[in-house]
Amino acid sequence: MNDEQYRREYGEHLIEQVKSGKMTRRQLLVRASVFGFSATVAGQLLAACGGSSSSSSSASPAATGSAMPAPVMGGTIKVILPPSITDLDPVTIYDQGGIVMISQFCEYLIDLDDTNALKPKLALTWTPNSDASVWTFKLRQGVKFNDGSPFEAADVVASIERLVNPKSGSAALAALAGILSPGGTKATDTSTVTFNLDKPFADFPYLVCASSYNTVMLPRNYAGNWPKHPVGTGPWLLKNYVSKQSATAVKNPTYWGKDASGNQLPYLDQVDWVFVQDESAANLQLQSGAVDLQPQTVYQGAQALFADPSLRVDEYPGTGIREVAFNVTKTPWQNKDLRQAVAYCLDRKAINTALYAGRSNLGYDTFWEPTVFPKSPTPPVRAQDYTKAKQLLTSGGKPNGMDITLTVAKYLENPQLAQLIQAQCKPAGINVTINQISYNAYYAGTNSNTPWLNSAMDITEWGSRPTPGVYAQAMLLPTSTWSSSHWNNPQFASVFNQYMSTSDEATRTKYATQLSQIQQDETPILLAFFITQLRTQKKTVYGVQGPGSFYCDLSMAFMTK
Amino acid sequence: MLRLIGRRLLLMVPTLILASMLIFALAEVLPGDVGRSILGPYATQQQVDILNHTLGADKPLYERYAHWASGFVTGRWGDSLLLKVPVFPAVMKALGNSLLLAGFALVIIVPTSILVGVFAGLRRDSFLDRGITISTLSMTVIPEFVSGVILIWIFAVWLKWLPVQAMPPQGSPFIDRFYYLILPAIPLMFLELGYIARMARVGTVQVLGMPYIRTAVLKGLPRRRVIFGHVLRNAMVPTVTVIGSQVGWLIGGLVVIETLFVYPGIGKLMVDAAQTHDLPMLEAAVLAVAVIYMVANLIADIVVALLNPRIRMGG
Repeated sequence: MNDEQYRREYGEHLIEQVKSGKMTRRQLLVRASVFGFSATVAGQLLAACGGSSSSSSSASPAATGSAMPAPVMGGTIKVILPPSITDLDPVTIYDQGGIVMISQFCEYLIDLDDTNALKPKLALTWTPNSDASVWTFKLRQGVKFNDGSPFEAADVVASIERLVNPKSGSAALAALAGILSPGGTKATDTSTVTFNLDKPFADFPYLVCASSYNTVMLPRNYAGNWPKHPVGTGPWLLKNYVSKQSATAVKNPTYWGKDASGNQLPYLDQVDWVFVQDESAANLQLQSGAVDLQPQTVYQGAQALFADPSLRVDEYPGTGIREVAFNVTKTPWQNKDLRQAVAYCLDRKAINTALYAGRSNLGYDTFWEPTVFPKSPTPPVRAQDYTKAKQLLTSGGKPNGMDITLTVAKYLENPQLAQLIQAQCKPAGINVTINQISYNAYYAGTNSNTPWLNSAMDITEWGSRPTPGVYAQAMLLPTSTWSSSHWNNPQFASVFNQYMSTSDEATRTKYATQLSQIQQDETPILLAFFITQLRTQKKTVYGVQGPGSFYCDLSMAFMTK
Repeated sequence: MLRLIGRRLLLMVPTLILASMLIFALAEVLPGDVGRSILGPYATQQQVDILNHTLGADKPLYERYAHWASGFVTGRWGDSLLLKVPVFPAVMKALGNSLLLAGFALVIIVPTSILVGVFAGLRRDSFLDRGITISTLSMTVIPEFVSGVILIWIFAVWLKWLPVQAMPPQGSPFIDRFYYLILPAIPLMFLELGYIARMARVGTVQVLGMPYIRTAVLKGLPRRRVIFGHVLRNAMVPTVTVIGSQVGWLIGGLVVIETLFVYPGIGKLMVDAAQTHDLPMLEAAVLAVAVIYMVANLIADIVVALLNPRIRMGG
């Protein structure tokens, strides 16, 4: 069966699933995007299902076409960002400042819309083999880097091989470890790339999309020192960059992108960036009108922004979490009942209200959460239940309660979360001592002694991840690089491998249900919420694309008078 | 006087050597390492180890210090490990920014605080004296972050009279920089005004009680001549010493102001370098501030010696 036949059959399968009620229209859109169907084809599939083709997704105000005026060409937008801690290098960046900057000039194979669904960028289609262990990507043709060289399959191979090379310092290496190894990426012809994975991985497109921040495409001869040689295929050209202070970008006149009406992108002429580390200072800049846009706004201290009549704070269904990990290699967390006891002490709604004014989505200790990841099975709600918590303490051998230590970095809202856990555990007889340390100290040391991977119980902040599978791959498997819990469950690992080896939606849902049940029952980590992302802009700013994570796309941004 | 200057300049050398050693040693105590800072928390340990080895960060402390010191004294200050930019221009630019802010603030602070302090001293125990003392003390105890946020909110957000940032857009004429520095200079004035004014007041009160002032008054000298010719000159000795000691802080210690007003000064540069184990940048920045601090104190001592012949004669 060739690609086209496979895609046609898969499309028909999706239509049948929707018609039979086994899949929602939204799930169809998600699956279609995963397998590289264009928006047009996805629309045709929806139409074939009957009824309206509109999605039921909760699109952001910025993405809601009806509320958006006609694009205005020209102008300069001023954007405020935290500075990149390191120099700008697409291979090694890992913080918001670096990621947002690089993604303006370099592009990914696959984009993410503001509901975290995949959409074509430099790759037009992505197709798996039967067990999702080999993926074939068809590239967009006619794209050029801003140095004039053509974008071809050899550039994709070089870019990805660079990322899986341990000597490159790639920040994407750990995410790709065990899935794609050096030598696994091959160019079939100038516009086709094949990824031969180490194991089946149905979520692979998400590992080379805009949420895998380092997977931007660079020329095959890229030799580093990006700020001096800012090469990419993106809509902007870097005109000026002063580390930790400011940057200026002007539109790339030869950019390949056009909007639906055929207008050349980007709409704006220029982007001025100002780098501000302190959130209070950034908020004051927004309120004073000195800047137009903050791609990602943190909740703490942002209350004044919601009340400012000149600003619009958009909310995006984010997938970021605060992982409260029980290190199952340390006492007392080998005991599942004791882990569950803490879980039943939590009033998740109260935590959400205290930390995020109730704007985030509640979590119940599993990654498979349908309010965040639409194709997920619905987990049982875990409400606060002190009676059950005390029973679990008794069955866990701690009838008189227990004393535990929670290690937390003084970073973002993590200390406040620790205090809430402390207060909510107290009535059950669980006395929580908070070990608050600096951000640097939290991540310092080697894998064998760094606090974030070796404390008995700790809180770690995670930025957005596009699927539950990507989260689980990173922290819940025996091979996970970033497992704070050190949880090793053979049944979970086995089901996970099956889950990643199939493209069939019904089968994946069956496995997802099992995975969710195991994760929630075992409770290696507490997941009280999925953080809704905020983006603040003047009310005259429209068209900022992206899922409100570190990544955002300004190619369709414009400003009205 | 020349001997004093020569001796103090010579003392700078061992002081700077000791300071550089201390920085290296203290940086070892800070959690983390430069490889982890560059690659971030999600890099694998193997990647971090490879990078640390490449940078020589896994070598013994004395070896790294010797390597750095030999380069530094021969003018090879190297590149920032994190930002990959040459250290010397980065430090000099940040130092220049800090000097400009400190100089601008001092131009406002010194005459104002001396005027206020002397005025209060001349009207000792009066309603005005108490009012000045209480109000300047109150301003001093307000943390600069608090006063800065309030000032920004009033003058930049609400009234929109002044810019919220301390740096004008690129390409602006140099003179614009002073307009942008008005707002950040005010919290500094709040902090320093009370301190320096009180020193000026105490100096004035003490000098006014001296027999030679009584003699001058009894001789029938005009009040203006007594104040400007005798009181001010002698009352300034402790004030000048205090101003000299504050210059170092005004240049290297303005992290909060630099952060709040988004000003690329050397204070923030040092903090960032320390947090990320960027030792070439940290060493150069700290030593630059140390030199400024020592020079400022030396100038203060020279001014004091010029004001007070007994100190000058005593050597």
